[in-house]
Amino acid sequence: MKCLVTGAAGFIGSHLSEYLIKKACKVVGIDNFMDYYPRSIKEANIACLRKNLNFEFIEGSLLEVDLLRLLNGVDVIFHQSAQAGVRASWGQNFKIYSDNNILATQMLLEACKQSPVEKFVYASSSSVYGDTKDLPMNESSMPCPVSPYGVSKLAAENLCCLYYKNFGIPTVSLRYFTVYGARQRPDMAFHRFFRWALEDKPLKVYGDGEQSRDFTHVDDIVEANWLAFEKAMPGEVFNIGGGSRVTLNEVIELMKELLGRELKVHYQGTQKGDVRHTLANMTKAGEKVGYKPKVSIRDGLKTEYEWVKKLVSGRVVE
Amino acid sequence: MAISQELLDILACPKCKGDIYLNETKDGLICDRCKLLYEIKDDIPIMLIDEAKPIEK
Repeated sequence: MKCLVTGAAGFIGSHLSEYLIKKACKVVGIDNFMDYYPRSIKEANIACLRKNLNFEFIEGSLLEVDLLRLLNGVDVIFHQSAQAGVRASWGQNFKIYSDNNILATQMLLEACKQSPVEKFVYASSSSVYGDTKDLPMNESSMPCPVSPYGVSKLAAENLCCLYYKNFGIPTVSLRYFTVYGARQRPDMAFHRFFRWALEDKPLKVYGDGEQSRDFTHVDDIVEANWLAFEKAMPGEVFNIGGGSRVTLNEVIELMKELLGRELKVHYQGTQKGDVRHTLANMTKAGEKVGYKPKVSIRDGLKTEYEWVKKLVSGRVVE
Repeated sequence: MAISQELLDILACPKCKGDIYLNETKDGLICDRCKLLYEIKDDIPIMLIDEAKPIEK
């Protein structure tokens, strides 16, 4: 089976590509190495993959490449690429989000009309829900994003549903809830916390630390993508969470245990676009595709800590 | 290790979507129509219009 993984050099895309290679798939990866974080980190993400003959890689943009040629022989698309970052999505930056998150998805869906695929798995986000009072968040709840980033992810998700209903493109959207683990982006909270802790700097926390997230380990996200390909009915949307809701202060307590020492914490003002709590209702994902998260927050944090330690000491190429 | 034929087959010029071919030194892909060279660095074809180099002919 041949898979196209967009955003293949990124945090989730690189893990997913490795998983697909282990499943004996051929993978074509594409990534435009957007300068949101250092290129060297992304290059390290795919260093192992590139040694595998079943992995082909293109540095390119979905907005520019000939998508019909790219899809030649592709059975499944795992569309992971996006301009990330909730807080950076305001102002003039929004064009980057609309181009890379909405337009690129629409172009890929259009290409699928002429080059049919077995499944088109789209990486959506819990940010589509916004600051809902309904916890846990249900797929049937009214989405109400509170950041332009969330708006762009929701728009692309809606396009996926539309292209299924109107053209039969077999899309499945997975709403990821705060993903963490090795290779997490450097702007994300756990990565920053571990780095600061290792550098003996205080941890900067937005708000009072009592905001909570349904943190999801990247291994569970990868598994969910495979299940979505294998079992999901097209046109569906699924919440993919980690199975527990943890506050940032609780995470910091776990980090202290892991490091075996106290950590200094500086609390700062809240950020526009941040939601207060997230928690996924995963009944649908469990019943329809058999998704069940396996990695606990305690175990998952350890994997990320080990990786950040390597990164900080310059030994990141795995 | 050079890039595979399989990969070459799915690539086109990102600017005109026309055919491209490997140059003699096998470190770039040429689009005759746009007169652009797309470099191959560490076996990765860089298919970005902004990164392409103009070819003088």
